[in-house]
Amino acid sequence: MASTDARNTLSDVFVRQAMRSQIVFVQSGNCIAHAIRHIIKYKVNALLVADEDEMPLGVVSKTDIIGAYYAGLPINTSIDHIMVSPPLYCHAEDSLESALDLMKSMGVYRLFVPDPDTGRAAGVLAYPDIVGILYQYCRSCDRSLIRRREVLDIADDIPRFLVLDAMTPCVVSFGEDRPVAEVLEGLCAYRFGAVLIRDGTGLPKSVVSKTDLVRAYARNIPLDAQVRVILAASRVYSCSEKDHLEDAIRQMVLTDVHRLFVHGTDVSEMIGVFSLSNAARIRSGSCHACVSSRIRVEDA
Amino acid sequence: MYTAKDVLTDKFHTLSPAISVAEATKRFARVSREQERRIFGMIVTDPSGRLLGMVSMYDILLFIRPKHVQVWGGMEDIDVSGLLDMVSERARSTSVEEIMTTEVVTVTPDTHIMAVLDLMLRKHVRRIPVVAEGKIRGMVYLSDLFYFLVDRLSD
Repeated sequence: MASTDARNTLSDVFVRQAMRSQIVFVQSGNCIAHAIRHIIKYKVNALLVADEDEMPLGVVSKTDIIGAYYAGLPINTSIDHIMVSPPLYCHAEDSLESALDLMKSMGVYRLFVPDPDTGRAAGVLAYPDIVGILYQYCRSCDRSLIRRREVLDIADDIPRFLVLDAMTPCVVSFGEDRPVAEVLEGLCAYRFGAVLIRDGTGLPKSVVSKTDLVRAYARNIPLDAQVRVILAASRVYSCSEKDHLEDAIRQMVLTDVHRLFVHGTDVSEMIGVFSLSNAARIRSGSCHACVSSRIRVEDA
Repeated sequence: MYTAKDVLTDKFHTLSPAISVAEATKRFARVSREQERRIFGMIVTDPSGRLLGMVSMYDILLFIRPKHVQVWGGMEDIDVSGLLDMVSERARSTSVEEIMTTEVVTVTPDTHIMAVLDLMLRKHVRRIPVVAEGKIRGMVYLSDLFYFLVDRLSD
C-alpha cells in the first residue's frame, strides 16, 4: 500500500527521457572570465570542466563563481581553483525519481550522465528538464487545464495544484542602496537563486540573481558598490499564490526566467518564491489526476 | 603563390565591446544595407584597434534562444511575441563583450590561401580576420574565397 501511494507522475520515467545531450563545457586551465562568458552565452547555471580529451574533471557553477567574487579572486584565476570535483553522476537508465532523490540529498541542481563506453559526459539532467517532461505529459492529458479550457463545456472538478502548494514560502529582500556584498551574502545564506530588491518606499523594484552577480564580477564592480548599479531587470516577475501551477510554469517559460515571486491578495506584498526547481520537486503535473488515478505514464 | 592578402577585403566593420547587444544588432542591419550584402559577423576591437573577439549570427541566435527551450516541446500554442519582447529588453542591458567569442582564429596577410581554406573548413568559420603586427588588415570571407578559387579553376 505504501509503495503504491508513493507513486507519482515520474515513477515510470527514466533519466534518458529527460536529459539534455548538449553539454556546455570548458577546458581545465581556462580562467574564470572565460567561464563567465560561457555561462552568459549559453544561459546555463554550471559548466562541466574537462581535460583535453573531454574527460570530466569537475563542475563550475554560478555559486562557485560568486564565491570567488566574494573572496576577491582575480577574474583571471584558473577555474581549476574553484571547481567542485568530481562531477556527480546519474545513469541514463536510472529512474527520474532516484535522480531527483540524489539531487535532493546531495544538494545539487544538476547531474551528469556518463557515456558508459568512453567515460565522457553524454548528457546532463537539471530541474528544468524534469519540468519539461512533466509539462509534456500534462499537455497530452485529457484532464489538463489547457485541454479543459479548450472544451469549455466539460466540468472541471479535478483538484489542481496551485502555486501555494509548491512555492518556497519565504522572500529575502534588500534595499537598492545596500552593498553588493550584503546581497551576495544573503543570497548564499538562504540558498536562493535570486533576491528581491526594494526601492526607497519599500516596494519591489527589481531582482538580483546569481547571473547578475556573475556579470557584476566580470564588469569588475566593487563589492561595496550599491546594488542598484547591477540591476538588470526593470521589473519583478510575479504570480499569485492562487495561480495554477501550469499557468505559473508557462509564465516562467515565456518570460525566460527560472523563478517567479509570489504575491498574496496584495500584489505589492511578496510572500514566496516559485521556481522551476519547486515545480520539479512536486513530481507531478499540474493536477492530482496522475497520482489519484494511478495513470501509467508511457514513453513519450 | 596566392595568400590571404589576395582575397581579403579591407572593408570591414567593428564593434566596441561596451555597446549593448541591441545596438550591435542595429549595426548589423545598417552595415548590411550599406554594403548591400548580409553581414553575419563583426569584429570586436578595443579603442586602439586591437582584436578582442568576434560576434557572429550564431552568438546572437544563442542569445535569442529561450533559456528553457527544452520545455517548449509541449507548448506549441505559445505566442513567441511575448518572448521576443523579453529578448529585446535583455538585449539593451547585455553588452557585446558578454556574448562575443574570444577564441578567434586569425591569419596573417602572408598565410597561404590553401591554409586559409583548410582553417575555415576545419574550424567551421565563415570569416577570418587578417592580422599583422597587432593590427587588423582585413577580413577573408568564405564566399569571397570560394569565388576567388572558382574563378581560377575555370581559367
